[in-house]
Amino acid sequence: MSATATDKSAKISVRGLKKSFGSNEVLKGLDVDVAEGEVVCVIGPSGSGKSTFLRCLNKLEDITAGTVTVNGFDLTDAKVDLNTVRQNIGMVFQHFNLFPHMSVIQNIMLAPVELKKLDKAGAREKAMELLRRVGLAEKADARPASLSGGQKQRVAIARALAMNPGIMLFDEATSALDPEMVGEVLQVIRDLAAEGMTMVVVTHEMGFAREVADRVIFMDAGYICEEGTPEAIFSNAQQPRLQEFLAKVL
Amino acid sequence: MRKLPPIRRRRGGSFAALAAFFTVVIMFFGMGGATALSMPAPASAVSAGVQAADVNGKTFAIATDTTFAPFEFRDGSGELVGIDMDLIRAIAKDQGFEVDIKSLGFDAALQALQSNQVAGVIAGMSITDERKKIFDFSAPYFDSGVQMAVAKNDQDIKSYEGLTGKTVTAKRGSEGETFANSIKDQYGFKVKALADSATMYDDVKAGNSVAVFDDYPVLAYGVSQNNGLKIVTEKEQGSSYGFAVNKGANADLLTAFDAGLANLKANGEYDKILDKYLAKAESTEQGGFFELVKDSFPALMKGLWLTIVATVLSLAVALVLGVLFGFFKVSESKILRGVATTYVAIFRGTPLLVQAFFFYFGLPQMTGQPIDVLTAGVLTLSLNAGAYMTEIVRGGIQSVDPGQLEASRSLGLSYVTSMRRVVVPQAIKIMTPSFINQFVITLKDTSLLAVIGFAELTYQGQQIYASNFRTGETLLIVAALYFIVITALTQLSNVLDRKFNK
Ligand SMILES: Nc1ncnc2c1ncn2[C@@H]1O[C@H](COP(=O)(O)OP(=O)(O)OP(=O)(O)O)[C@@H](O)[C@H]1O
Ligand SMILES: [Mg+2]
Repeated sequence: MSATATDKSAKISVRGLKKSFGSNEVLKGLDVDVAEGEVVCVIGPSGSGKSTFLRCLNKLEDITAGTVTVNGFDLTDAKVDLNTVRQNIGMVFQHFNLFPHMSVIQNIMLAPVELKKLDKAGAREKAMELLRRVGLAEKADARPASLSGGQKQRVAIARALAMNPGIMLFDEATSALDPEMVGEVLQVIRDLAAEGMTMVVVTHEMGFAREVADRVIFMDAGYICEEGTPEAIFSNAQQPRLQEFLAKVL
Repeated sequence: MRKLPPIRRRRGGSFAALAAFFTVVIMFFGMGGATALSMPAPASAVSAGVQAADVNGKTFAIATDTTFAPFEFRDGSGELVGIDMDLIRAIAKDQGFEVDIKSLGFDAALQALQSNQVAGVIAGMSITDERKKIFDFSAPYFDSGVQMAVAKNDQDIKSYEGLTGKTVTAKRGSEGETFANSIKDQYGFKVKALADSATMYDDVKAGNSVAVFDDYPVLAYGVSQNNGLKIVTEKEQGSSYGFAVNKGANADLLTAFDAGLANLKANGEYDKILDKYLAKAESTEQGGFFELVKDSFPALMKGLWLTIVATVLSLAVALVLGVLFGFFKVSESKILRGVATTYVAIFRGTPLLVQAFFFYFGLPQMTGQPIDVLTAGVLTLSLNAGAYMTEIVRGGIQSVDPGQLEASRSLGLSYVTSMRRVVVPQAIKIMTPSFINQFVITLKDTSLLAVIGFAELTYQGQQIYASNFRTGETLLIVAALYFIVITALTQLSNVLDRKFNK
């Protein structure tokens, strides 16, 4: 185990990551590398720290100890411009977090226009292209409130892609959806995986993890308990905690 | 003698100290020049018909009270009139100088004189030994004294003897109260102290008190305005009013005042001015309600205008304060949060009236810098409303789902941009009803500024019934004006709210 050396070829490199909320240590020292184009799925029981781990990858949470390096930028370095780094990391939330006071297309155009990456016309063109990709071109001028859950999440994915990020983070993107809408969202993620997007996906959908993941990480109580190929995790679990967990969810 | 509430009495001490200080400063730096250093000219011994040439063509700033009928008050059209005003203008004309009247309030007038911002003060001010240490006075231009009045239709009480077992009223802290207390045991009556003349007269008319003891000019003026009372006793020996300049300064002006006063007394104009305000009116019947509305309309509109000006200015400043401190409250910095929390605690934790008194009376005393009443009023209201706005802004921002800020930050947008484009637009929508509410509260709170003499709508109403004694009707008109304006503005805000915050 190369616990200290950073893997230069990795898009994401996490070393000794610890995170505490007050006196409650939620992440107790994680080491993870994610290679370019790799799809990593994170599974584990509720409260094990999956979301917290994911939120450390774009520093939505302050990092208590250790380092997180993304695209070669050390996020714990105060000199690193977080906004620039974040432009290259798209994030999709469980509860969509669309901006309710903007139309669908305005949601998608906001970042490219504000950050002067594209002019208005260019941003609109790009947004329409993304909407077509997630199958919602006809909803461009709708308000988020008028969309179904599945549609909202697809818009949220389009919004996260608007800055052309090299990395996508998903935090239980389908957990808040009615069962019949899960499929449409998973399909979009699946397509992204097929296009070679580097992704970290926190999910409760074991079947999906098994299908799209290059690697599965099982987290328990703030540690990485076991990691490996989907085959190794789902069919050949070593740790009793993982075996227990799988017995419950499968 | 004019009423001296405790706040004015206390002032005597600091005035003396300030005066001493200023004198020393003037002596050291010679700022006052030869005039300031010369001994005060003895006031008097100027024969009639003389004109003091040194003041000719000059303009003097003269400070006065905001209201002390019949010496200075605003008439139906909002013009400053009264015995003092007519007198100083007539003297100025007689002596060939100009006056620039500044209606500052009694305390502020004295303070302005102390700091040489005005040349003189004429404000129904009694000549007292204590004041003579700080100011130079003219010859007395008016002799006051206490009189007793009863309800017009009261046939029983004709003298102090009729008061046995009864209750009378007098103005708190006034010479009238002192006098009433001095004879109450002898005649066996009780004294109830009230705050102002109009209230006392209403108290007598309502039968709660059988008689009122008040300064002779004030009482005579009230009777001349059909206040429903009649005077039944002779004037008790009282104090005299004088025109004041700063000690050792403006001796020419003082000389001119005395010369002019002597001229007016000699040519009968002085008596004309006094009669105008004190003589019993030729029993003119009071007009009807609509006549009252018509007559009071110009003054009330002036008041309403100031009410709106104060409201708009205060809310504009309050909005800035509210946004600033509201953002402090949601910021990550402990210091900024502490600053905002302290600010809100102070202004929500103290009464608005205390704040108004502090900014108008307290602050100038502490800094030596006089403050005009609009500034003091707007300062009070905006700091007060700003505290509530801070809480509205904080509440609005915090009620926006934190996921919104996170989503925006995850896109690489800065904190400021995220606030501006994502959080604040949603917060405004949540805050709008509270803003409209605060707007209405602040508009109504402007009426509290009447106590510091800010001439807004309520104050104008008070001025009107202080001179016509039709309290109920006047207050109805005032209330109706507030109601109309507030209802109209609320409706307008709601329409705008619906339009922009769909
Ligand atoms: N902002 C916070 N303040 C304090 N404690 C927190 C905070 N966020 C998370 N926690 C705690 O950290 C622990 C891990 O939370 P986290 O959300 O990372 O778990 P999770 O694995 O994502 O669970 P779930 O599957 O339920 O989403 C939990 O005990 C949670 O209570
Ligand atoms: Mg979670």
